Amino acid sequence: MKWLPCIGVLACLLLFAVPTHAQNKITVKGVVKDNAQQTAMQGVTVSTSKPSKTIATTDANGAFTVTIDAGAELVFTHSGYAAVRKTFMASTSSVSITMSVKDNTMQEVVIQGFRQKTKETATGSSAVISGKALQDVPVSNVVELLQGKVAGLNVQNNSGSPGGMGTINLRGVSSINVSSDGFLTPTSPLFVIDGVPVDLNTNYEYGFQGGGAGINPLALIPPEDIEQMEVLRDAAATSVYGARAAYGVIIVTTRRGKSKVPIVQYSTNFFVKAPPRLRDVIGGKEERLFRIRTILDYDTSAAAAQALINQTPFLSDSLNPYYNNATNWQDYFYRTTYNQQHNLSIRGGDDRFNYKTNLNYYQENGIVQNTGFKRYGLSMNAQYAPTNQLRVQMNLSSSLGQKQNGSGVGLIQTGIASGGSSSSLLPPPSLFSENNSALAASRVINNNKTANIATSLDISYEPIKGIRFGNLLSYNFISGTADRFTPSFLSNGSSESYSYNDRTYTLYNRSLINFTKTLYNLHNLNAYVFNEINTYGFQANVISLDRTANDQITGPIGYGWASSRGGTLNNIRETRQHGYGGSVSYNYDRKYVLDFNFRFDGLSTTGSKQPYSQNPSVSARWNFNREKWLEKVSWLSYGSARVSWGRNIKPTGSIFDTYGRYIVGLPYNNNPTVAIDYATVPNENFLPETQTQTNGGVEVGLFNNALQLTYETYYRSIDNQIMRIQLANTSGFNELQTNAVSLVNYGMEWSAMMRMFKQSKPFQWTLSVNGAINKQILTKLPDNLRQIRQEITDGGSNVPIVYRIGRSAISNLIYHTQGVYANTGDVPVNIATGKRQQLGSGTGYYFQGGDPRWTDVNGDYIIDEKDLLPIGNPIPKVTGGILSQMQYKNFQLNINASYTLFRDLLNASLSQTMQNFSRPTTPGALVPIDQYNYWKPSAFDKGSGTPNAQYPNPFDFRRAGVMQPFRSNQTLFLEDGSYWKINNVVLAYNLDRKMISRLHMTSCRLTLTVNNVYTFSNYSGPDPELVTQLGRDNSGGYPNARSYAVGLNVQF
Amino acid sequence: MNKKIQKVVRKRRYYMLAVAVLLAASACKKYLPKERETVGADSQYTIDTYQPVLGRTTFFTDNFYQGSTTYPSDFKIVNPRRRNGDPAPELTDVFPVMVWKEAYDGTEKSVAEIEAKRVKQYRPLFEIGPHSGAFTMWAEARSAFVRSQPDSGYLFDVELSNSGGRRYYRNIKLMPLKERPYEPSNYNASTGQPVSNGVYASVVTNIKGANTNRYLSYNDVDVYIRKIVKAGVPATNTLTFRFLDTLYNPIDPAKFAETDWNNLVHGFEKQITATGVTYKMAYPIPAVEVPTRFTTSDGRRAKTRFSYSRLGFNGGRETAVLGLDFAIYEPGDWEIVFAFKNDNPKFTND
Repeated sequence: MKWLPCIGVLACLLLFAVPTHAQNKITVKGVVKDNAQQTAMQGVTVSTSKPSKTIATTDANGAFTVTIDAGAELVFTHSGYAAVRKTFMASTSSVSITMSVKDNTMQEVVIQGFRQKTKETATGSSAVISGKALQDVPVSNVVELLQGKVAGLNVQNNSGSPGGMGTINLRGVSSINVSSDGFLTPTSPLFVIDGVPVDLNTNYEYGFQGGGAGINPLALIPPEDIEQMEVLRDAAATSVYGARAAYGVIIVTTRRGKSKVPIVQYSTNFFVKAPPRLRDVIGGKEERLFRIRTILDYDTSAAAAQALINQTPFLSDSLNPYYNNATNWQDYFYRTTYNQQHNLSIRGGDDRFNYKTNLNYYQENGIVQNTGFKRYGLSMNAQYAPTNQLRVQMNLSSSLGQKQNGSGVGLIQTGIASGGSSSSLLPPPSLFSENNSALAASRVINNNKTANIATSLDISYEPIKGIRFGNLLSYNFISGTADRFTPSFLSNGSSESYSYNDRTYTLYNRSLINFTKTLYNLHNLNAYVFNEINTYGFQANVISLDRTANDQITGPIGYGWASSRGGTLNNIRETRQHGYGGSVSYNYDRKYVLDFNFRFDGLSTTGSKQPYSQNPSVSARWNFNREKWLEKVSWLSYGSARVSWGRNIKPTGSIFDTYGRYIVGLPYNNNPTVAIDYATVPNENFLPETQTQTNGGVEVGLFNNALQLTYETYYRSIDNQIMRIQLANTSGFNELQTNAVSLVNYGMEWSAMMRMFKQSKPFQWTLSVNGAINKQILTKLPDNLRQIRQEITDGGSNVPIVYRIGRSAISNLIYHTQGVYANTGDVPVNIATGKRQQLGSGTGYYFQGGDPRWTDVNGDYIIDEKDLLPIGNPIPKVTGGILSQMQYKNFQLNINASYTLFRDLLNASLSQTMQNFSRPTTPGALVPIDQYNYWKPSAFDKGSGTPNAQYPNPFDFRRAGVMQPFRSNQTLFLEDGSYWKINNVVLAYNLDRKMISRLHMTSCRLTLTVNNVYTFSNYSGPDPELVTQLGRDNSGGYPNARSYAVGLNVQF
Repeated sequence: MNKKIQKVVRKRRYYMLAVAVLLAASACKKYLPKERETVGADSQYTIDTYQPVLGRTTFFTDNFYQGSTTYPSDFKIVNPRRRNGDPAPELTDVFPVMVWKEAYDGTEKSVAEIEAKRVKQYRPLFEIGPHSGAFTMWAEARSAFVRSQPDSGYLFDVELSNSGGRRYYRNIKLMPLKERPYEPSNYNASTGQPVSNGVYASVVTNIKGANTNRYLSYNDVDVYIRKIVKAGVPATNTLTFRFLDTLYNPIDPAKFAETDWNNLVHGFEKQITATGVTYKMAYPIPAVEVPTRFTTSDGRRAKTRFSYSRLGFNGGRETAVLGLDFAIYEPGDWEIVFAFKNDNPKFTND
């Protein structure tokens, strides 16, 4: 009972206390609104400042009612928003609190090295894209929207194929490996989606390689569900992601529940996709007369011309069904489509328990016949934290993509490229006409599906203060199927049934022990050790049946058994990775930050001599605005300088490069044998690709964050890249996979964000500009060679590429065209032999007026392969974007633009178009030629003609077959591929809160969107973006469509 | 923009800072390899002994395997010397040579027009293409002052260089052959001495012997190609065709009645007499080795065809053709004589 006096004293105190203060209690009622959208904010925490205690949260209408002491300060907080503090002296019932999105980037949460930290203490280079910037524009793949948003992230939407993906490169192209059909090995950054790593480079081959559904794994993420994307650029930021992080990391975080009151949000878009302007062609009779005139003018003699015309029925035989047609082929392939998307998100909760469920449906019909993409997605996540010491977080996402590829294989539409460029003289597609690519495009039955289940479970436990154990387990399973049936009437009477399925799994587990300690409130220390494993497997099976019973029965076997095939494809893959290491991070009063990471990585594809590689990284940051001598500078909101150095690896090659391969050999004594494959010699010194990067950066915020500037510069070397070299035949093996290629990328990135008006003004305008300069230089080739040439057969230009040390990674090997010979007399003459310059040695084809003037590099009066020069750089030097966000009251106008500058494109498509003029008896499309400045002979002399013509004589068909004046490998078709593009324009209107509150909504937003608005370019081809990474416009691509969307976003 | 911004924007030191940062970014460039051409280890001359015939311009091309060498590259003849190591000034000194400046195409209307297409330049007699590695021996090189076979000739080195380095190809041999001023030739290639009396005609068809009444063959016709040098009279660059019977009496060219005399050779100012046909010519013949109406299909020889027709034994018309594909490299007054040595051609009907 010795407590009693104490209680008595307390009671007395209370007695005194209550009356003195009770008379000052006030009631505050009010509404919290979002400054940007002028909508009610739900779930805003209202707390007292002293002591800090939560006393209320706002309801669905943003309203709150609290009773506090008069003169107390209330703090309104909401994640992502700047806290608002307000002191109330008397009761009030109509307080209006306006909260603004936190614009101090220093307080932004970034994830670097498995940990969330504020940007102020992050030493690596990273950029955050808010999920808001990725909404309102309906696209099948969210990557399309990243174009121009982050400095240094170069996104080229070089395919409009629904569900596909363009190319994405961070800080330049990281590989020089070009497949024989002309595709650069993808070097996309590693995506980590809610903790699940998705590596786009390993297996997804951009849909080119024939097999597969052609659906990009990222196309299965609903953009509406993305909370934020973070792009990690330098080695310090990515170092702990270890293997596969060499090309950068993009962390995708989906939305989470963070409102005590559940939110139900529904958004939808209806959009129209319109094909781009199709090219003009000459049609019908005009085309026929054009062809006849060509033959009459340029054949060797009048008699030969007459004979040729008479031998060509579609020019002369009026009874032939091929005569006198005028078919608009492009019309058969392209269409305007109507599409929709729906997304329903249900989320709520607080730090202790939160949840989210997201349902998504996206449907897009491609502008090319018989193509389209559908996405069905269901994902959920939840976090349980019964105490501050234990936290369990889980994600589960499942999605299904469905795609029709038409007659192509995803990105490439060869059927349409050939069909769309057919002569108008051919009869329209029917069962009885020969040209059936149009029919094939629309009648081939194909159905491709990709199902993806991604799960992750993140548990962390802190038994002792400062030491936290964590484990993240994730499993990602992708299954793709592709079924295609080509009826017999489309393929010369033999139907074809093709069935493909593949399975990909990625299992990832990471265990972590984290230690945190703060001393004297100044010294902050954080350290952890981790251990991670990653296994990956891929297997694809195909059955191809030839000549099934009829066009209705697609199996079980075809009677063309000799050409029917089945089995597992040889791109089967099974890899293991193990990594372990640790990290120490120290900062002094958040002023000086120092990070040190070290990790060991072992890969199953690395040679047995050195299975583990060591990857250190060191980085530091100085927040100089916290220095005393800058404290007085009022216009400096924040300022910091960063520097980092680090190394990372990327698994390359396959296990066969390291260990060799056994294959089924020839039978011996009628017994099957297993023999060593002598194609590639095992390389026990095989190494993973290594990236070493040095990065420096400066970040400054000025004038109360009205102007925020970031500048980065980097130098990175990518070593140990693979290249096969031929071995001497005495070795017994044909090839060796070496690690002998090195490439250096260096450059700089800048971004600026300007807020034009004070935040309190009704009109708000934020302008963000970013850009990046990237240069790359090839620094090493195998065998100490300075130059290697590689042949390319890409079905369009077939221009070889050349790797040359000291130049950019890839150059096209082409002829240098200096115009056109106006007269035969202008052709140089060999002073010794008196012969004019000729094409090839001994072909007897001498140059004459109207032929292209190619530079004779070695001066032997012969134009041949020795005169090819490496010219042009297809990789853009400068990329970036401009984003403007304007707001006036309830209206919002967002404009996104991007630019890609200084790249050289080979307009192989124009080359093909011009070549059609020299084939008067081959039915290919002819375009109106008057738009081109081409050489025309003068009336009296065929040897002289138009001076200063740009294009050679296109009609000299008897010589064109050998002379090939319009060959694509010449600078005549090398053009500047710079472009400025308005990516999208979004006009949004938030309905007035009073109006919608009757419908019990908390927010209702209407949007009008135009995507892919316009591209400004001097490039003469259709679209400077629609080119391969080697800078070739091969005209087989899937055009980008402009889309117009109407959207609605409702929140309850 | 508010005033504070403007104030900061005006301050110069911030620009200095920006420039410093940019310089820092570009500084790393100097440690990177420069782009250079390559001199390939596998590049090689594929011919190491060059045997041009003196008195004609010989152009050796396709004689260098490029390999991994990249162009543009520079080629230079270094240290041309005789086999015994003595210097060879005859190869390095410059001589007046005739070079083409415009293309000859066989449509020229006069000798002057052809001559206008070439010009005299001073050049070494043996030259290398400065970027191609091809060799040229000019026609003005003569055995009188250039060592020719059977002498073992000359040695020289070639320097190949570009921005990637330089390389020498040593001891390439130049062993010129003595002049053979016309083709087909009856001279021995290495001694320069005639080994037969004449050469064979290229075409002898349907020519019936007047006495034997058999079809004549190549063995029945001797062709002499000879240069007429009249002492004290300057050469006028002509070409005369003559026909001789078995008694070495001239046959009237008019008897070859179906000959296209105007387009027989690319000659001008045709003069037909009872003993021969003479043209003014531009030498060499053919002027350039390109196919024209006056040459064989490969352009390497002038093509002449003399023909007549007569009624044969059974009343059918037989067209007789006598032809020669030839080349003459030296200017001068040349004569081509067709001598029927065993039997005379029969010009009358049967």
